[in-house]
Amino acid sequence: MTERNERIYGVACTFRKVSDVYHAAEKVRDAGWKKWDVHTPFPIHGMDQAMGLPRSKVPRLTLLGGVTGFITGCLLTWYMNSYDYPLIVGGKPLWSPIYPFPVMYECTILFAAFGTFFGQFILNGLPRHHHPVFDLPQFARTSDDSFMIVLEATDEKFHLDESRNFLLSLGGQEITVIRD
Amino acid sequence: MSNPSAKISDKWTLFFGSGLLALAVTWFFAYQGIHGHDHRPALSVLVGCLFWVSILIGMLMLTMITRVFDAGWAPIIRRSWEFMIGGLPVVLILGVLPLVFVPSLRHIVWHWTDASSLLPNGHTVGHDPILQAKSWFLNEKFFLARVALYIVFFAVITWALRHWSFLQDRERSASHTHRLHAISAAGIPLTAVLLTLLAFDCLMALTYHWFSTMYGVWFFALSIRLALAVTVILTYVLSRGGWLDGILNQAHRHVLGCLMLAFTVFWAYISFSQYFIIYSANIPEETFWYNIRELNPITGMKSDWWGVSLYLIFGFFFLPFLCLLFYRTKIIAGRLLTIAWVILVGGIFDLWFNAVPRQIVDKTAPEGFVVSPFLSGFLWLDLLAILGFGGIVLGLFLRSSAKAETIPVHDPRILESIHYHE
Repeated sequence: MTERNERIYGVACTFRKVSDVYHAAEKVRDAGWKKWDVHTPFPIHGMDQAMGLPRSKVPRLTLLGGVTGFITGCLLTWYMNSYDYPLIVGGKPLWSPIYPFPVMYECTILFAAFGTFFGQFILNGLPRHHHPVFDLPQFARTSDDSFMIVLEATDEKFHLDESRNFLLSLGGQEITVIRD
Repeated sequence: MSNPSAKISDKWTLFFGSGLLALAVTWFFAYQGIHGHDHRPALSVLVGCLFWVSILIGMLMLTMITRVFDAGWAPIIRRSWEFMIGGLPVVLILGVLPLVFVPSLRHIVWHWTDASSLLPNGHTVGHDPILQAKSWFLNEKFFLARVALYIVFFAVITWALRHWSFLQDRERSASHTHRLHAISAAGIPLTAVLLTLLAFDCLMALTYHWFSTMYGVWFFALSIRLALAVTVILTYVLSRGGWLDGILNQAHRHVLGCLMLAFTVFWAYISFSQYFIIYSANIPEETFWYNIRELNPITGMKSDWWGVSLYLIFGFFFLPFLCLLFYRTKIIAGRLLTIAWVILVGGIFDLWFNAVPRQIVDKTAPEGFVVSPFLSGFLWLDLLAILGFGGIVLGLFLRSSAKAETIPVHDPRILESIHYHE
């Protein structure tokens, strides 16, 4: 074993029922954990609240992208039609907020979509080709009929033996240490 | 029937009576206008009537759309829409019907129906080649028949949607849901066609030289926006001691807020597209409609309608749009309520913008006409008409609420609706 493989990523345990993993998540949240995750085969309604997750920050990046796009559209049309190569088309002014509005509007949508797409990519930590939980044989079942809670070692509350016992007290099975 | 709703429904005569009184005053001024050949007080009746017609058509559409899509959140709110839409034929009968069927009123409001009416170019309506070309649609017999058709159709569709929905309370059968599904599927395209024609007849034909193929879509977008605004206000009031107390939750507000945002954008898209297409083509037979909404034809300066236009862009679009982008605006009751009032007030301005400006022949003016101003003593009469029709609609709403359960307790999706979450 190399030095790298000795580092502990966290502790995992599995649950068999939705209600069990849901109530266990509430207890982990109430115990004050910040760096932990729940893996389920399907979305569980109310899990965000049970985990105490805040709302996603992606909409802010969407807004930022939209505003950037709008300004880009304004500058683009002004620079091309009024500054770099002034040209009167259809008797319209060289630049006004009206005739190039479709350009401004389309740029708003395009950049807002960029903000959303790349924003979620960055916030999700993507692209990423491997994750320590993939090493667990029981992880495959979380895309079938099993539920998993993982407490991560980077959390301030993490202590190997205490965290194991904590998961045991929540009713978790197959408690396993994940190595990085 | 539960006690709170019985108490509320007893108050219906109060709303209905004061509404009728306010409407009677409006009608009195409208009749006075006939003698002075002043169309403006009659327009107050039209604006007040169409304000509530658009709200109720919006609710009618939302009722049918949520039926067709089996919307899980909708049943508890849809029952209030069903109580409301019963007022739609009544509002049309008390407003548009007399305006159209009394010849002297019809002639001053829709001057294309008066062959002796003068045009700015010196001709009369009777000798206007533009009207002659449009006469297959714009002739009095067809006009009266269409208005009668609107009233009959809306009376039938609202009766059908209410009847089988209310019957489900007693008969507890899912078959009524299937029947209402079919009625709604047929009703949506029919309502879409008739609300388009209604917008053409009641608003676009006020300036009959002008035409816009997007006008019906604009009226639809406005209708849904106003209907959602009234829904937010109504459900808020009903959740504070009314029959939605303890039932309406954050997720219901969120879904209404999302729809408000969507239709705010849709309204802006349609309104701007209509302007933009006419602006780009720059053809006088279309641009004059916007010109009389921007410029004073005597001085060539911006008129007070220019201010109304800017209010529509910033107060009726940007303000609600930017606020509704934020999640918290959609879930905090006070904020959503504020935006609903902003949209409701903006809707009045949009109707003013579409209904009131017209060319009034004045031979002393350089272009042969002046434009009726925005700021005039008749604005209070418009508001009185809105309050009058509003009293009638709310009175009938309360009266309807005694006819059925205040939430559809045997709707197959009632539990889904009560426990709706984001």
